Amino acid sequence: MNGWMGRIVMVDLGGHSQKEIPVDGETRRRFLGGRGLGTKLYSDLCPVPIDPFAAANALLFMTGPLTGTVMTSGRYEVVSRSPLTGTICDSSSGGSFGAALKGAGLDGLVVTGRAERPVYLYVHDGIVEVRDASAIWGLDTQKTQKAVQELTSAKASVACIGPAGENRVLFAAIMNDKDRAAGRGGMGAIMGAKNLKAIAALGGQATAIADADGYKAMAARLDRAVDKNPVTGKSLQVLGTSVLVNVINAHGMFPTRNFRGGVFNDAEGTSGEKIAESLLQRQSACYKCPIGCGRTTRTKSRNGEGPEYETVWAFGAHLGISDLTAITEANYACNELGLDTITMGSTIGCAMELHESGALKETMLWGDAARLAGWVEDTAYGRGFGAELALGSKRLAAKYGRPELAMQVKGMEIPAYDPRGAQGMALSYATSSRGGCHMRGYMIMPEILGHPVFLDRFVTAGKPEIVALIQDISAVVDSAVLCRFLQFAMGISTLSEMLRTVTGLDFGDEELLAIGRRIYTLERLYNNRAGFTRSDDTLPPRFFNEEFQTGSSRHRVVRLDEMLDGYYAVRGWDTQGSPTKATLAALGL
Amino acid sequence: MAGAIEVKFYSLLRRRLGKASLALEADGLTVLELLLLAEKRAGQSFLDELLDRERGLLTGTMILVNGENVRLKQGLETRVGAGDTVDLFSPAGGG
Ligand code: SF4
Repeated sequence: MNGWMGRIVMVDLGGHSQKEIPVDGETRRRFLGGRGLGTKLYSDLCPVPIDPFAAANALLFMTGPLTGTVMTSGRYEVVSRSPLTGTICDSSSGGSFGAALKGAGLDGLVVTGRAERPVYLYVHDGIVEVRDASAIWGLDTQKTQKAVQELTSAKASVACIGPAGENRVLFAAIMNDKDRAAGRGGMGAIMGAKNLKAIAALGGQATAIADADGYKAMAARLDRAVDKNPVTGKSLQVLGTSVLVNVINAHGMFPTRNFRGGVFNDAEGTSGEKIAESLLQRQSACYKCPIGCGRTTRTKSRNGEGPEYETVWAFGAHLGISDLTAITEANYACNELGLDTITMGSTIGCAMELHESGALKETMLWGDAARLAGWVEDTAYGRGFGAELALGSKRLAAKYGRPELAMQVKGMEIPAYDPRGAQGMALSYATSSRGGCHMRGYMIMPEILGHPVFLDRFVTAGKPEIVALIQDISAVVDSAVLCRFLQFAMGISTLSEMLRTVTGLDFGDEELLAIGRRIYTLERLYNNRAGFTRSDDTLPPRFFNEEFQTGSSRHRVVRLDEMLDGYYAVRGWDTQGSPTKATLAALGL
Repeated sequence: MAGAIEVKFYSLLRRRLGKASLALEADGLTVLELLLLAEKRAGQSFLDELLDRERGLLTGTMILVNGENVRLKQGLETRVGAGDTVDLFSPAGGG
């Protein structure tokens, strides 16, 4: 078979059994792999929404037809029901683990059940070994990866959890290849609930390519396009993702102090430009990636990876902190303990506003850089107030009677773009299938960065169509599976050419978009079954009622009511946000 | 400076020029004229980071006049005057 390995293994950790999950050619064509095929398989295995920590819940590690082929194809997608949001969730991570898993002979690995004692999995030569992990339980993610490599192979790529996942922190990440994170949605906590500490994958098998000459020519074209493009060929390499700090701040939508302000006066001190001239040691890159947007950094006393844009913000402006060293070391701590930096920072900011408002006694003060790393550690280990931070902002704010102070959608914390500054981004947050996330439909690309075309960020007309389109394209990229940053340098036609040369299947642009629509709709169906309706497709009241008084997004509020009906209409969903029968029929769902 | 236009350099521009801003004593210019003047004053070329060979904005270039993207105004023909702040970003991306 070309493109796919043709093998997905399901391991039941409680029943000590394994079996292969058969996937026919038509299903592969309709869902590709990664997020799409993962969501399809998950919906079949767990059609009725269950407790994400239940033994019966399935956790899927998925690769796609492009995994292990062109540049940036080392990624993998983790799919399950999020313990943070209760929605379907897929969490994506870079590095090389995806390529290793596929090279070990699998398109995907499905884990169900709960092991009686800690285990890790060793995937190689198409088989999955379940091994005892008692000796490594409790270790941080860096020591875990080293230990598992010593137990398996120095060449193995390891994905694992740290103490946060073991302790089922609702936003625990899965970390692989040192510091790459499947960060959002708490997939690491599900590993913890399964007593699954790590997965080691040892690659070796190459993905079979249908049209070798066509593939070579396409890969060469992609090389040139990425090199020539100023974002992928220069900006991301030199300045990393934190170049956005000044960009978003200049647009007056850099969320400051739990989204009460849109301009951070100390933005310069935490910018990508500043990181490049201070902490940066060198770039780092995922599997076969010439871009290398990662940052290997050093503070006076420590070294590690990051911070990326979202983290600079979450531990910086969001908390009123401008101490780059404290931000960076909190980032290192999250990497080691296995925590999503966005939800971690956002929840601390929520606690700070709760304290300021008098609802929370625990002293949490804006700008308190000295206590930052301590809060992160306490969260991972559930110590003291950390046990409450471990719940995420929605549960925390509700507990103290001020639910409106949690800056979240469907329980997932909104990242570093204030929706008052970009109406399309606001709609995208509200309708994202995994809650307040920028990656479902990154409207910042057209509304701020001007890619591939520039759109007026304050206009609502036409946004429903574009949000749906970008959500669909993103679902395809996440299912192929490639890095989203390639989208700065390539369009959907390049993607269909990649898929054609690798799989031999001629996906036209239209078919690819239909695949994206199918995936997005399938996610919606699951969320509907989990109880999410129109009333959940919204944002915290702050964004509708409070205006900034300064900056270039001042006097703006989100006008979701001008867009939501139109969005449902474009999607073929009814007024309550449920896909209509006709829509399901058209998509073959 | 009262009678000046403040031009701020970000991202790759700043690294290339080695400075974060310039105050230009000028008034009543188009953005394009301002850019040409800034290049002269900076003593070093940088317009290739922002414009194509036909002097059109590159995809992704962000030029903000008092926080508003000139693409929403008259593009490079947008007029700027004393007291205005102009932010220059070469194409950037992240997430
Ligand atoms: S662009 Fe960055 S995140 Fe994407 S594959 Fe390359 S190094 Fe990884």
